[in-house]
Amino acid sequence: MPHRLSSALWFCAPFIVLIVLWAVFIPYFDVNPRLFPHLSSVVQAGIEGIQDGTLVQHISASLLRVAVGTVLALLVAIPLGVAMGVSPFVSNFLTPLFRFFSVLAGIAWIPIATLWFGYGFGAITFVIFNAVFFIVTYNTLLGVSTIPIHVRNAAASLGAGRWAMLTEVLLPGALPNIVTGIRTGLGFAWRGLIAAEMIATNVGLGYMLFVARDFYRTEVIVLGMIVIGVLWLLLDRLVLAPIERATIERWGMVRRA
Amino acid sequence: MKQFLLKFWGHCVRLTARWPSIGSIAPFIPVIAAWWIVTELQIFPRVFLPGPMEVVRSFGSLVYTGILPAYLQDSIVRLAVGTFWGIALGIPLGILLGLSQRARTALWPLLLFFQAIGDIAWLPILVIWFGYGLTTITVVIVYTVIFPVVLNTVLGVRSTPITLHRAAQSLGASRIRILWEVVLPGALPNIVTGLRNGLGYGWRALIATEIIVGTSGIGFLMFDARRSGSVVEILLGMIILGILWYIVDSWILAPIERATGQRWGLVTR
Repeated sequence: MPHRLSSALWFCAPFIVLIVLWAVFIPYFDVNPRLFPHLSSVVQAGIEGIQDGTLVQHISASLLRVAVGTVLALLVAIPLGVAMGVSPFVSNFLTPLFRFFSVLAGIAWIPIATLWFGYGFGAITFVIFNAVFFIVTYNTLLGVSTIPIHVRNAAASLGAGRWAMLTEVLLPGALPNIVTGIRTGLGFAWRGLIAAEMIATNVGLGYMLFVARDFYRTEVIVLGMIVIGVLWLLLDRLVLAPIERATIERWGMVRRA
Repeated sequence: MKQFLLKFWGHCVRLTARWPSIGSIAPFIPVIAAWWIVTELQIFPRVFLPGPMEVVRSFGSLVYTGILPAYLQDSIVRLAVGTFWGIALGIPLGILLGLSQRARTALWPLLLFFQAIGDIAWLPILVIWFGYGLTTITVVIVYTVIFPVVLNTVLGVRSTPITLHRAAQSLGASRIRILWEVVLPGALPNIVTGLRNGLGYGWRALIATEIIVGTSGIGFLMFDARRSGSVVEILLGMIILGILWYIVDSWILAPIERATGQRWGLVTR
């Protein structure tokens, strides 16, 4: 326990140094608050945002969009990926197609999404759905098609039915790839979310940043950047990375060197 | 009939065996055909989903007027400049962090945090600092490319076996020679992987930046088309982006990655 505590302290130390530098140097050099805000005004903006509820509103709007888009995408992508990956012919045939679309995933869809769905919830959820869907499908496809054929043959000759094959061979075998796909896809989706919110909505973290820019309110911009960074760090390091590590250790085919 | 189909099939198989790139084009044919049929049947209004022919025609006219080549060049130059600086700053930083434990404790948490902020969130404040222009776009791309490069370089430097270090040292190699002949080649496969990831993110950042603050480029083309409601040009932009990245990734980056992996990779089978 003392070891974990000290490593946590070491992790925080650089941030404390950075914050102290910020608090000292910005007033010292008398930087125009239109260029870079003072620490105190950012803290104040944070407190104000929490008190009048706007910050919470922006955060919850953004998180809701990510959650809805991701869940919808996973519900479609995983079954589709497994179904396509089962046959080597189909998966070989479709791989280039999905590579092409996973390249486009996310941000490139913003213009057409806003045209199809109008500005608002629909367009942004569509962008997130897109970013997650293609990458997860592609990775599932890849995961299922790289399961060694003798494992599938062994299961089949031991009398595994279709259902047992699916739940005990195909899904566990593809799981490390699926989880990696989700993590990459969410990374793109998060960026896509911020970009889409700058363009196409009236609530959300990206919108908060972009409106603040119009009024040169740098303290709100910096606050927004910190919130975005912290949220993603929490999501990625505390949720996604541990899941990825656990599945790879449990079901991964990588033998440790 | 069956005979004919089998013969045709055999022909296809032989053709794809000779030119593997045909195999990667084939799946797009049914998709384009389906797209064409859907637009011909007018399931969606034409304004919302134009057909492939219209996209090709607008490609022709945009090339003819010179807009498309100029925009394409702008985008590629921006990406190249940004990537260059990303590599030039990222690799030395990565090697420093990989070799020095002290630098790592000091900078690693900051690196993770700033990576998490993400390129696009920097846009508003960068616009205030640098205005609309090349500097803003370059900074965003450098910012995007540098993190995967640094993180992967650190990983690569740290994964070169310590025995190699010691062997070179006891054979009398100077620090610079160790850096040049042990550390760098050992880390190269990881660096290339990082570069490939970084370019993937940088590419998207470029599009987003051009959409939001751009005055030219493929992203700007798409957003300008969106403003005037011309779906044809949006689709054209998306297709060009996809093709371009596909070419860069699978014809340039993936072979380099494979080659360095084979030449210097330490993956023990």
